[in-house]
Amino acid sequence: MAGGYVGKILKVDLTTKNVSTEPIDEGVAKKYLGGKGYAVYLLYQYIKEYELKGLSPKDIDPLGPENVLIFATGPGTGVPRFPSPGRYHVMALKAPLTGSIGSGNAGGKWGTSLKNSGFDGIVLEGVSDTPVYLAIVDGKAEIRDAGDLWGRNIFDTTRVLTSVVGGKNTSVTCIGPAGENLVPMAVIMNDEHRAAGRAGLGAIMGSKKLKAIVVSGDQKVSVANPEEFKDVADRCLDALKKNPVTGEGLPTYGTAVLVNIINNVGALPYKNWQTGVNPDAESISGETLSEKYLIRKNMCWACTIGCGRVTNVKSGPFQILASEGPEYESIWALGSSTGVKDLDAVVKANHYCDELGLDTISSGSTIAAAMELNEKGYIPEEDLQGLDLKFGNASAMVEAVWRTAYKVGFGKYLALGSKKLCESYGHAELSMSVKGLEMPAYDPRAVKGIGLNYATSNRGGCHVTGYTIAPEVAGIPEKLDPLATEGKALWVKIFQDFTSTVNSTINCLFDTFALGAKDYGELLSAVTGWDISEDEILKIGERIYNLERVIINRLGFDGKDDTLPTRLLKEPMPEGPAKGQVADLEKMKEEYYKLRGWVNGIPTPGKLRELEIEV
Amino acid sequence: MVMPIVNVSAKILLFATLRDKYGVRELEVKCDGTVRNLLENAAKTLNKGFLARIYDISRNKVREDIIFTINGRNIKDIKGEIGIKDGDRVAIFPPLAGG
Ligand code: SF4
Repeated sequence: MAGGYVGKILKVDLTTKNVSTEPIDEGVAKKYLGGKGYAVYLLYQYIKEYELKGLSPKDIDPLGPENVLIFATGPGTGVPRFPSPGRYHVMALKAPLTGSIGSGNAGGKWGTSLKNSGFDGIVLEGVSDTPVYLAIVDGKAEIRDAGDLWGRNIFDTTRVLTSVVGGKNTSVTCIGPAGENLVPMAVIMNDEHRAAGRAGLGAIMGSKKLKAIVVSGDQKVSVANPEEFKDVADRCLDALKKNPVTGEGLPTYGTAVLVNIINNVGALPYKNWQTGVNPDAESISGETLSEKYLIRKNMCWACTIGCGRVTNVKSGPFQILASEGPEYESIWALGSSTGVKDLDAVVKANHYCDELGLDTISSGSTIAAAMELNEKGYIPEEDLQGLDLKFGNASAMVEAVWRTAYKVGFGKYLALGSKKLCESYGHAELSMSVKGLEMPAYDPRAVKGIGLNYATSNRGGCHVTGYTIAPEVAGIPEKLDPLATEGKALWVKIFQDFTSTVNSTINCLFDTFALGAKDYGELLSAVTGWDISEDEILKIGERIYNLERVIINRLGFDGKDDTLPTRLLKEPMPEGPAKGQVADLEKMKEEYYKLRGWVNGIPTPGKLRELEIEV
Repeated sequence: MVMPIVNVSAKILLFATLRDKYGVRELEVKCDGTVRNLLENAAKTLNKGFLARIYDISRNKVREDIIFTINGRNIKDIKGEIGIKDGDRVAIFPPLAGG
């Protein structure tokens, strides 16, 4: 087997409790690498198998036995001196929040520990009838009873299982009450504070009654050309240290440093996206977080950047001894989108999300949508059961978070996610989501390219599919005018393709602020022993993105779903530097489809042939 | 030709490491309407190093790595003449990104 791979995938059928091992297929790995790419390939094999059996992918119940959940590492994962190599990717055939493909990426050390345990990935099928957890120790996997753990939060589950399983490099990924309660915004959390978030991956684990996966062992990952790798890795790590963003900005302030600059360009959504200017941004900014809440910095396994924060709230009703984050997106969703300016409350709500296993972006955005519904008089008082959901009400926001996880009181409505919540009150237009997934913290009226990326992202409203904020706001690798549409389609396509390769490598997307496709080609060539050029890096990404698109087409999505909420398309930005602007999607989308070789959001047979995708 | 004397006042806001380094969050600065003069005058209050950190004097322009915005628009994106007007809000950031 090529360097970078342990060479084995664990397959677990939770219905029959059958556990088996499959070798990594080197031909597939060459075309799709690992992580997201390899998982997308495997998911497509399930689609074909189900279709042969007469089951339409559209009819798959995301919370039923046919749904498949894959945990995957890549050839860079767990390789010491590979830039930020502790990450892993989770993919699901169908996500409960959206009905589209499920995809999430997490840091910490679990990805590395999975390889240490003897596997590159895990494929989970079926559903267990009782709560279980999976223990993988030194190449052996066991399904064990989790009756005692069911109902426990993320922190307790992690600590108990770390000590029960013991061993070397032990790491736990698990769900909390939100996942158990099948909340479609539930995440999978590893190492206590790292989330494979978005679209309800945690609820899929909950439906399979799989509480946790514990991995442990000391299997090392070999590198094909150690000398060559040392040279390339040294050069890349040096570039990361010297780069002002990865060497200074992110380590000093973490991601929260974005609050002020995004607000400054008029793109920080405020009060459920009614405007892009938050008058209280300073009080929830990265600078304020560092000054008043930061205890120390933290990092994922072997990361040279180290953007993590350990924080606390020293006193008052939202006191916390120690937590992690909140990240920029979480501050925005729980703070700016809800109009809450009390950072104590935002830190507390973020902590609850980690403790209970909730996606901060979707939870905060759904609460914000409920606040707007309520302020406009669309929610009957009896539904709210005393929860005073008004913009800026910090305690109501914090309470709404735990109510969502437990589906208690109005929490049972919040737990629908913003799309179904707004639809159920007759105002679908107030859900700020794409394909049912709540959008992250950049208003496309003020930053045009990111709007095209949200609209065309396969998993739904997502920024990390193609993070064009880098050129449009930060000027990386070059400055683009955020209000212009010209040329943005090509940027979005390239970013989406490159990111697909990064998520299949796998390392951290933040490395791409300093490293480009050429660096990835050299790193991966040295690790695997294959010859991977800069062009091949982008081609692999394009192949992955297209096969993922083929899957979502089979799930029923096409061009009509590649859109944005009406508010962004029709309501001009009321103030700030983007005053009067709307999202301008259609022109960019037409150009994007042409560049992609798609018609109405569907790849043409010619395009698939060109990318050597066998359908 | 005699240039008219311009006397405008703008608010400068500093963020992230720049705020740490110069110990100031915001300051009101008078200038002749040019970016250079605005920064020269700010440097009198902050310290001499400020001008050199933000402005490349030899090339007579804001340093490439600095994110310099006037009323939320990055000067790299502004077409035509760049000048400071009375009441402008000038926000200056070091290189930064996140996600
Ligand atoms: S940059 Fe931050 S999120 Fe990325 S791997 Fe490093 S510590 Fe983790």
